[in-house]
Amino acid sequence: MRRFRLTVPLLILTLVAACSGGVGPSPTTQPSPTAAPSPTTAPSPTPALTPAPLTLVDDEGTTTTLSSVPHAVVSLTPATTELLFALGAGGLLRGRTDQDDYPAQASALPVVATFEGVHMEDVVGIAPDLVIAGGNNFTHADDIARLRELGIPVIVVYATDVAGVLADIRLVGKAVGEEQAATGIVGAIQTRIDEVAGAVAGLDRPRTFYEIGYQPDIYGPAPDSFVADMVNLAGGDPITTTDPTVYSIALERLVTLDPQVIVLGDAPYGTCPSDVAGRAGWTGMSAVRDGQIRPVDDVVVTRPGPRLGEGLAALALAIHPDAVIAKPTAGTDYCPTP
Amino acid sequence: MSATAAAQGSIVRHAGLLDRLRHRPLWLVVAGFVAVLLVSAAGVFFGTVAVSPADTIAILGHRLLGIPATVSWPASAETIVFELRLPRVLMALSVGAALSLAGVALQGLLRNPLADPYVLGTASGAALGAAIGLLIPVQFALLGFGLLHLFAFLGALGAVAVVYRVSRLGGLSSLSSVLLTGYAIGSLLAAGLAITMYLSGQTLRQIFFYLLGSFSLASWPQLTVGLPLIALGSFFLLTRARALNGLLLGEETAAHLGLDVRRERLVLLAAASLVTAASVAMCGLIGFVGLVVPHVVRLVAGPNARSLLPLSAIWGAAFLALADLLARLPGELPVGVITGVIGAPFFLFVLRRYRGGYEL
Repeated sequence: MRRFRLTVPLLILTLVAACSGGVGPSPTTQPSPTAAPSPTTAPSPTPALTPAPLTLVDDEGTTTTLSSVPHAVVSLTPATTELLFALGAGGLLRGRTDQDDYPAQASALPVVATFEGVHMEDVVGIAPDLVIAGGNNFTHADDIARLRELGIPVIVVYATDVAGVLADIRLVGKAVGEEQAATGIVGAIQTRIDEVAGAVAGLDRPRTFYEIGYQPDIYGPAPDSFVADMVNLAGGDPITTTDPTVYSIALERLVTLDPQVIVLGDAPYGTCPSDVAGRAGWTGMSAVRDGQIRPVDDVVVTRPGPRLGEGLAALALAIHPDAVIAKPTAGTDYCPTP
Repeated sequence: MSATAAAQGSIVRHAGLLDRLRHRPLWLVVAGFVAVLLVSAAGVFFGTVAVSPADTIAILGHRLLGIPATVSWPASAETIVFELRLPRVLMALSVGAALSLAGVALQGLLRNPLADPYVLGTASGAALGAAIGLLIPVQFALLGFGLLHLFAFLGALGAVAVVYRVSRLGGLSSLSSVLLTGYAIGSLLAAGLAITMYLSGQTLRQIFFYLLGSFSLASWPQLTVGLPLIALGSFFLLTRARALNGLLLGEETAAHLGLDVRRERLVLLAAASLVTAASVAMCGLIGFVGLVVPHVVRLVAGPNARSLLPLSAIWGAAFLALADLLARLPGELPVGVITGVIGAPFFLFVLRRYRGGYEL
């Protein structure tokens, strides 16, 4: 009996070893080594007309070489879709995700990726010469790998701080041949950052909790995250979760850290300052006692795109309502005071 | 003739047709192959991007048979037909066949109509393995497989191995204790999965969609690894008809008939686990196929494993390839949803036809 019990794992191991070691050619299929178009189909451009190849290093450190400025681009994050329009390269776009809601022209583009993942066939059908994807699994890592296998160039953007966003704007600008426009956008955002920095320089830095969500757990920024960086730049002292990979914060921790200002990033989803005062356990916090709870348009504040300067201004005004900062030109007002 | 009488007449006629089929399993085999061919052709010809049938045929002829052709199609059409649709159809066919065979084997082995390929912990083991694979921040890819697939494969096999040892399935333990052991180990692994998902942060979405199952990442390299595993396991299962027929009578009777029950149990379990693990590693957890296809085939063709095994494989393949086609046409729905939505009503329909006298 003992012999048989040992046999199962052994048999299985042997099968695995045998099969993974000797992968014979499958009967009917010729796995093609690359998905590059067969030689006959590729229109070979005359060397004289070929522009210098473009080498891009994305946020994951992957180097991608484009033979020329792309003509058909698929953007897989709302921020990059927005950015391409801001760069004046919206005309290159052939596909987007279902989340890409800004600017209004974006909604005319076909949706080629949803929450579930990238629709490979649609993307391949577009035959893009550049796909811009989101890092940290915003676009599934598997999907990115598959697109590259199929011979489609992909650059991955993922910024962990505001400086990273500015670098991404330059990267995308370079990728689509709009470096000058990118410099302009970066300059405008930098001007706003400087303006905010000047306005909040002499002020106290209140302990600020940026609420990303309230149900089912309380969600806030992780330490060293992009949102925490924004709160810092906006003149607040961010209250964060315990670890960069943790997004929820315990109520006890929040009560102990006692926020002086609560910024409602979940205002677009229906949370208003009056709701917060009614939450069990929240009444003792300074921010709740002093009525220092203000809504913001989360999309403008946290989307790492061209409207970031306006988002920072909105966030700074939510933390320091009396600071001298030009009113943001982007975003929606939520929970208007009667 | 009253309406009732007419209805009764039609039922009798239908039962007559199905009855005749029951004694002519060859017809069902032929019809199954026709269904597989039709569904495969539809799977290669249709998708969300239109590729003309002439181009599709030319591409297939060019790439598969090496027929020299003047390339008149766009490169993207070739990629879509040959790199996306064809491997996807083949994977759905092979996984459908594999899960159906594993379902027949486990239903017969455990003599339980609710048994499916995942019943002995395979599903939870694979899911936990996949989730752990996703959490390990190491980029690893070999032949289209990452850590996720490798860990899912090992998790599925590991779970069954543990159930086998703990329940002493190798001995002549009672079948209820085997099932309960499988359930207990499965629950333990599911708890592990829950905590892994809780800790997973950004990768939660990937775990979630892995649990729903999908063929969207099917590729030739994956098939080169997965198909031989499935073929090997399926071969062992297909040759087990005598053992399954014997086990249907109960272990003791089977032993009296000269069947080495322990050995047959081991072979059936190992082969069923192998094909299941290879399937879940390639495409995640696809439910319902392995449970229901064997039942429908049994209802139509009878319980003799000699016809049940091949018929389940053929019809399971056709069913899953069809479900995958229906899942991707509207833009990548989870295939498990489709198998349930079209499979459950169909199963109930067939079950009602045979209200009396259906046993495993």
